[in-house]
Amino acid sequence: MTTAMTIPRHGGTGGRTAVAARARQLVKAYGSGETRVVALDHVDVDINRGQFTAIMGPSGSGKSTLMHCLAGLDTVTSGEIHLDETEITKLKDKKLTQLRRDRIGFIFQAFNLLPTLNALENITLPMDIAGRKPDAAWLNRVVETVGLADRLRHRPTQLSGGQQQRVAVARALAARPEIIFGDEPTGNLDSRAGAEVLDFLRKSVDELGQTIVMVTHDPVAASYADRVLYLADGRIVDEMFSPTADQVLDRMKDFDARGRTS
Amino acid sequence: MTVVKTSMRNFLAHKGRMALSAVAVLLSVAFVCGTLVFTDTMNTTFDKLFAATSADVTVSPKAAEDDDQGPRTGRPEALPASLVQQVTKADGVKSAEGAVVSMSVTVVDAANKKMGSDNGAPTIAGNWTRNDLKSMDITSGHAPRGPTDVMVDADTAEKHGLQLGDALRTIAVTGDIESRISGIASFKMTNPGATVVYFDTATAQRKLLGRPDAFTNISVTAEEGVADTRLKQHVATALDGAAGGPYKLQTAKEAADSGREDVGSFLDVMKYAMLGFAGIAFLVGIFLIVNTFSMLVTQRTREIGLMRAIGSSRGQVNRGVLVEALLLGVVGSILGVGAGVGLAVGLMQLMGSMGMELSTKDLTVAWTTPVVGLALGIVVTVVAAYIPARRAGKVSPMAALRDAGTPADGRAGWIRASIGLVLTGSGALLLYLTTQADQASEGSLLLGGGVVLTLIGFIVVGPLLAGVVVRAISAVLLRMFGPVGRMAERNALRNPRRTGATGAALMIGLALVACLSVVGSSMVASATQELDKSVGADFIIQSGPSGPIVPKAEKALRAAPDIEHVTSYKMIKAELTAPDGKKETEELVAADPTYAQDLRRETVAGELAAAYGKNAMSVGSDYAERHGVEVGDTMTVAFTGGESAKLKIAAITSDESNVDKGAMYTNVTTAAQYLPADRVPPNMIMFAKAVDGKEKAAYAGLKKALADYPQFTVQDQTDFKQGLKDEVGQLLNIVYGLLALAIIVAVLGVVNTLALSVVERTREIGLMRAIGLSRRQLRRMIRMESVVIALFGALLGLGLGMGWGTTAQKLLALEGLGVLEIPWTTILTVFVGSAFVGLFAALVPAFRAGRMNVLNAIATE
Repeated sequence: MTTAMTIPRHGGTGGRTAVAARARQLVKAYGSGETRVVALDHVDVDINRGQFTAIMGPSGSGKSTLMHCLAGLDTVTSGEIHLDETEITKLKDKKLTQLRRDRIGFIFQAFNLLPTLNALENITLPMDIAGRKPDAAWLNRVVETVGLADRLRHRPTQLSGGQQQRVAVARALAARPEIIFGDEPTGNLDSRAGAEVLDFLRKSVDELGQTIVMVTHDPVAASYADRVLYLADGRIVDEMFSPTADQVLDRMKDFDARGRTS
Repeated sequence: MTVVKTSMRNFLAHKGRMALSAVAVLLSVAFVCGTLVFTDTMNTTFDKLFAATSADVTVSPKAAEDDDQGPRTGRPEALPASLVQQVTKADGVKSAEGAVVSMSVTVVDAANKKMGSDNGAPTIAGNWTRNDLKSMDITSGHAPRGPTDVMVDADTAEKHGLQLGDALRTIAVTGDIESRISGIASFKMTNPGATVVYFDTATAQRKLLGRPDAFTNISVTAEEGVADTRLKQHVATALDGAAGGPYKLQTAKEAADSGREDVGSFLDVMKYAMLGFAGIAFLVGIFLIVNTFSMLVTQRTREIGLMRAIGSSRGQVNRGVLVEALLLGVVGSILGVGAGVGLAVGLMQLMGSMGMELSTKDLTVAWTTPVVGLALGIVVTVVAAYIPARRAGKVSPMAALRDAGTPADGRAGWIRASIGLVLTGSGALLLYLTTQADQASEGSLLLGGGVVLTLIGFIVVGPLLAGVVVRAISAVLLRMFGPVGRMAERNALRNPRRTGATGAALMIGLALVACLSVVGSSMVASATQELDKSVGADFIIQSGPSGPIVPKAEKALRAAPDIEHVTSYKMIKAELTAPDGKKETEELVAADPTYAQDLRRETVAGELAAAYGKNAMSVGSDYAERHGVEVGDTMTVAFTGGESAKLKIAAITSDESNVDKGAMYTNVTTAAQYLPADRVPPNMIMFAKAVDGKEKAAYAGLKKALADYPQFTVQDQTDFKQGLKDEVGQLLNIVYGLLALAIIVAVLGVVNTLALSVVERTREIGLMRAIGLSRRQLRRMIRMESVVIALFGALLGLGLGMGWGTTAQKLLALEGLGVLEIPWTTILTVFVGSAFVGLFAALVPAFRAGRMNVLNAIATE
């Protein structure tokens, strides 16, 4: 965790804790009465600073919902979420938008970039929106790290899928957010391009001290993480540290089997 | 059948997206139907009026036919009273009755307030006859019985709060009639606005005609079973060879028809003008419809690809879109027809507030009205959807497999560019040739061609221009808004065809506004310059629509203090025989010699002052050239209704002039020698000059002299120019008001484009919101895009319109429009106004975009 402490950050409250985000008794339910569906059922979770966390689980397990709630994209039914020391579930849209802009980075599965902006403009977009000047040295380092130096003036349509996702990674990193959320960031990529992107995410944790949370259903992707959380039926049912792809796959099979027998 | 079913479902599923297109169709159809219903209703109203007021057969003097706006003398043409006896003796006549009708009167109340309307409806004075009972009921008091009785129509009484016993003064050329209201009569049908007063027959003859033994016409009633046409023949036989003949005979139907013709030609002008504006609105609406369907097809590309993949033919896809357009057209047009009737009722109320009473009882919806409305609406919609439909047909089945998240930029190709440039270029050439034309008729053809070609050219190159112009506007305006401004600019640029079409729709209306404003202010500037150059009089006294300046008013004017001179100006008809033997009927200007100072004219030969000498006159240079007239020649002038005179040509005026062009001058006293006293017409207009340094007092004196005659106005040069400016301004405002429809449709187009763009960019908006774009920034971005599109349209429209206007001025310079004046205030106001229109258009789309749920937006396919 020491590297994390050396990285200067924007935002935050100064008092650094080892936990970047934490949720307590998080409930997310849709509908009411008989049609009530509980997507998250009293979830408690801590996201450690400077760690790469993967969230796994079968379809409908609530993994995406968990990420959306942690990232301030979705409202919760009850429970509390702290981002560093800020309680975010009570925030109004305006504050929440500012929080996403200044303290959170996003990488979506697809459609990450604005087609009208070139790669560089897409990377600096969150800072532009905030009216901040990007730190040139940091920007260079990020761009170098993701290997896009010669593609900065290209429009998204002129980039391959892998390159597009790398631009998205660069954008997420460039603003130095406290935490980056990835929603199956490699879901649309072939294995080689996917591996590249995951390498960059890994590197940004190791070298830049970034905190990353990634939702995935791909055991190989999950194997890049420091820690894997397993969700089923809206609850965290297991976790694993420093996993390999095979271990993740085995665990997944266990859940599947259990799910079928129960 | 499946095509129809799918189309129906698509139509219903996307009804929100079609709503604005439907509104555009609705508005245009409503305007067409409203115009038709309104003019039909006016026609019905007048038909009923004329049918009720016409006698079975009317006998009137032939001479009355020649005078379109009443005789110059201000006295109606008359026939001898003895004729009534002769007519009564004819076969089939039940009764014949002499009538006196004069439209050259003004009625004022005790406070000298005018009772008549100012907007063209006549004031009619006459005798009360049995024939009038066909169309009127006496609702209070009694019919006029003596020289001081007058009966007034109920609408006028109500409008001005007149009651029995109130004093009214009726001003005619023959003198004033002072009377008190003895009765009030109501029309049995709608009276659109005429002010009517009745006297007893003796008073009417004496005071309106100036002679006790005459009538203006004879109303003949047929015996039971005698047809009007038959009766007309009998009366004609009875009058054959009668004194003062031949006479004009009209059956009730003929009288009604000729009355309707007069009103009808005015109504037709109004109808076609309004339909023209509706046509412009339709043209603008086409852009909106094309844009809507293009966007729907783009958004549905994958769906269409799937249809093609599972076996739909191109034709089926194509037809599917057209069927949707058909549904849109039907819905929009049906609503439009309904709205049109409402619009007509609204117009009738508007006219009512301006003094033209129309009753909803007469509301006329001809069967052709809904047919025309529906046909127009549907055909225009389907034709507009044809291009997008074809594009839909061309979607490849592969589109189903591709990820068509965002539509590819519709890059405007070089073919479009070259076609557009050729059109614009040839249009510009025609406009250039227009400015070089030396004949107005040939020039106006060139102008028309040039306007149409440049307009189409601009529409075609619009998408290309969009790139350039949007960048330029953004460079000035949007850069200060940082990244939000930049994104707005990129969004406006990403689909040039869409931006081009949206802007072009606005361009059309604004181009016409700019063109007309240039022509209008050039008109005012030219007239002002001409006045400064040639008018030497300090004051201009104008007669009203109800006839010439009455002698009593003239006398009062001449008696006003601090006046150096007052100039008479009379128009007298005469047949001229030139030295070459050719005969022409012309109107001579008989004026006082001071007129030569009041209006300075250049002469090509002789002195103008000499034309006012005894038995002298002047002619214009065109006439002189045509007939080889020279100074010193003698012309034979046969005054209509008077004697023949031999007048010497003392001067030839130059026709390089815009005021009094071609006028032939002679002295009033010269003309009076050859005319009986009651044939010398009163003044059409008069001029006056103040004693030096006493202008103010003189102006006040003249105004005071006219206090008893509110129908005449005196203006000094400043007020006259202002009046001219106001008149042009009013006319322009009416035209702008009518163009507002086209502009509203264009603004709907901007709203439509933005709204559909927001839907199309749902995911993008979600993404931007996710990474921290605030609602406020998002809304601002959409507003900026809207402003840029609006300003693009405004810039093109104003530029094009100023070009047209300037060309038109150069052409009209041949007709005296010598000064070009570009009304920069108007142009700038329109430009800045367009920015606000852009902001306004973005209100709803921006609001909806801001309300989008971030998660749903991201999840949208």
